[in-house]
Amino acid sequence: MAEKFCMVVSEGSFDKAMMPLMMGTTAASMGMEVHVFYTFFGLKLLKKNAKPKLPGIMRFFTGMMVGKMKKLNIPSIDEMMKQAKELGVKFYACSTSMSMMGIKESELIDGAKVLGASAFLNMAFDSKLTLFIG
Amino acid sequence: MEKHATLDTKGLMCPMPIVNLAKKVKEMKSGQILELIADDVGAKEDVPAWCSRTGNTLLSVEEEGKILRFYIKLK
Repeated sequence: MAEKFCMVVSEGSFDKAMMPLMMGTTAASMGMEVHVFYTFFGLKLLKKNAKPKLPGIMRFFTGMMVGKMKKLNIPSIDEMMKQAKELGVKFYACSTSMSMMGIKESELIDGAKVLGASAFLNMAFDSKLTLFIG
Repeated sequence: MEKHATLDTKGLMCPMPIVNLAKKVKEMKSGQILELIADDVGAKEDVPAWCSRTGNTLLSVEEEGKILRFYIKLK
């Protein structure tokens, strides 16, 4: 059975959107089973058509970053999300954060599963590697 | 070197060379040799790491300027 790799994403900015997708697609390409749990502000990244911005005052320069990435041939967040899904990366939404952030299950990307902390921790206990992105 | 297929990832940055490598390998057969061409500086360490993690054999690496050529024997 493939080794498990779990990530927790707790912030909803542009960089925090990209990092788990890059790590996740790479790990899946290395044969790992990847699980990503989105909580607190990170949950916003699991919404359909999420358009996260750079953190803090840098948010005004998000468009410049997107343009630069395109020029460098780096896939966009949407493209990375598509790749991740194709590679079998699993996405989870924290149930308490959904109530806190006022996000409904119907607003989440297709395939996202709603979980509580114990279900996620159960996966993390059995995983070889766990990273916190926040 | 003898090879059965070539994957050119020039112009792509991490993690795309590795993601495309994993996809390409799925289309190939055990024992075949894949030539991977990359110009991402990270590939120099990433490709050997991918090989050791996935159990494929890195036969050799050639470097000409910024271009890296990896020859990978599939498990």
